[in-house]
Amino acid sequence: MHDFVIETKHLTKIYGEQTVLEKVSLHVERGKIYGLLGRNGAGKTTLMKLLLGLASPTAGEIKIFQKPIKGHQKQLYPHIGAIIEAPGFYPNLTGTENLEIFARLRGLKDPLAVQEALHIVGLPYRDKKLFAKYSLGMKQRLGIANALLHNPKLLILDEPTNGLDPVGIAELRDFLKDLSVKQGKTILISSHILSEISLLADDIGILHRGVLLEEGSLKELEEKNQKQTTGGNTLEDYFRKITGGKGIA
Amino acid sequence: MLKLIQTEFWKLRRKSLFWLMLLTALLMPFFAVIYFRSFGKTDLDPLLFYKWSAFGYTVFMILPFILGIVCTILMHEENQAHVLKQLWIIPIPKTACFFSKFFIVLMYSFCFMLITAAASVLFGIASGCAPFQWESILFLLKKCLEIAVLSACSILPILAAAVSQKGYVLPVCIILLYIFFGFFILPVNLYVHPIASLSAILAREGKIPGLTLTQTISVPWALLCIGIWGTASVFFATISLKRKG
Repeated sequence: MHDFVIETKHLTKIYGEQTVLEKVSLHVERGKIYGLLGRNGAGKTTLMKLLLGLASPTAGEIKIFQKPIKGHQKQLYPHIGAIIEAPGFYPNLTGTENLEIFARLRGLKDPLAVQEALHIVGLPYRDKKLFAKYSLGMKQRLGIANALLHNPKLLILDEPTNGLDPVGIAELRDFLKDLSVKQGKTILISSHILSEISLLADDIGILHRGVLLEEGSLKELEEKNQKQTTGGNTLEDYFRKITGGKGIA
Repeated sequence: MLKLIQTEFWKLRRKSLFWLMLLTALLMPFFAVIYFRSFGKTDLDPLLFYKWSAFGYTVFMILPFILGIVCTILMHEENQAHVLKQLWIIPIPKTACFFSKFFIVLMYSFCFMLITAAASVLFGIASGCAPFQWESILFLLKKCLEIAVLSACSILPILAAAVSQKGYVLPVCIILLYIFFGFFILPVNLYVHPIASLSAILAREGKIPGLTLTQTISVPWALLCIGIWGTASVFFATISLKRKG
C-alpha cells in the first residue's frame, strides 16, 4: 500500500483554448524526493500552482495528505513550504526583515526560526543588504529559507536552482537529500535540468506539453529505456526519445 | 487581522516618499495664507480661513489624490514583487488582505488631516489671518477627523482598482478620472459619487461659510452612496485577488 503525500487523478487545466495540462496523474510518496522534469513551457509551474490551490483545475482531482486541497487550505498550508516561479519578497526590506514578516504572519512562536532558516541556506542574519540588491542566487536561497521557515512536512519547489552557482546547486542538493533522509520530508522539485533531477530525485515524472509521459524511479526509467532502445541507454536518451526532442541540458 | 496590519506597517520601512507625501497636507493652509494676505485680509472668521485651508480643495482634490497614490503604492509592490502567491499559501484570507491595506489608507488619511488641522491653526495665527478661538479649533478638528474617515471610505474604489491591476499607470489614470468626476458631479447630484456625498455630509450643519450646495442635504443618502461604492469595491477587490491566484 503506497502512502502518497501528493496524488492527482486526471488533472486537466485549460486556459482559453490552450490545454496546459492533460489528465495528469501524479503520485508523490511520503519521505521521497520527486523530480518533475520537463522542458520550458511543459506545464510544471501550472501543475505546482494547481497543487497549491493557487489555480483551479478544469477537471480532475488533487489530494494533498489524502485531503482535497480545495476547502482544506487552512489545515494543509501549515504543512507545506513552497517556492512558485520567482521568490516573492519586498525589495525595500532586508532578508531578515522579509522573513520576519512571513514568520509573524504564520504565527511562529520560536524567536530563532528566522535565524535558523537563514543559517540553513547560508545567508547572514540581520544583514543590512536589501532584498532589491540581492543576486539571483541569494534571492533563491531566501525563497528556500522562507519555504523552510515553518518546518513543513512537504516542500514544493519550482526550479529552486535557478540562478544558483554550481557550488550552490550542490549544496542545495545535499541539503534537500538530508531533509528527505534525516527528517523524512517529502519534496516535489521541478527542473528542466536533467542531470540535476537524476542526481537528486528518488522518483521522476516526465512532463511534456502538459502530459505526464512517464513516472517511476530513476532505475525503472533507465531499465525501461534499455529494453526499448537501440541507441544510448541514459536517462537523457530516454527523455529525448519519449519527448521526440533534442533533449535538455 | 492585527498581525496583518502590523506587518503592513513593517512593509513601509525605508519608503521615504510614502511619508514625504504627507507634506502636501501643508499646501492648502499655506495657499490660504497667501490668498488672504494678498487681499490684505486679517482677523477673519476662523471658519472662513479653515474653509480655505482644510475644507476646500483638500477634500475634493488633494486628499483623494494622495490617498489614491497611497493605494497604488501599497498594491503595486505586492503585485510587482510576486508576494501575493507567498501570502496566499500561508494562508492569508484575501478579504483580510484588502482590509489591512484599507487600514493603512485610513491611518494615512488621519495623519494627513491632523497635519492639515495643525497647519491651519498655526498658519492662521502666525499670519494673523485667523485669531485663536477654542470653539473654531475644536470644530476644525472634528471636521478633519470626519473628512479623514469619509475620504478613506470614498477612496475604496481606487484601492480596488489598484488591486486589480499589476502596473500603476491605469490606477493613476483612474484616480484622476474619479476625482474629476466627483468634482464635476458635485453641483449636479450629491448622491452619485462618494466624494460629492462626502461634501454633503461635511456641509450638513451649514456652519462652514461659503460652502453651499445646490441640493437638499440628506446624510443617510450620502452614507448610502459611500456604502454602496465601498461594498462594491470590496467585492470587486476580493474577486480580483481570487483571480490572481
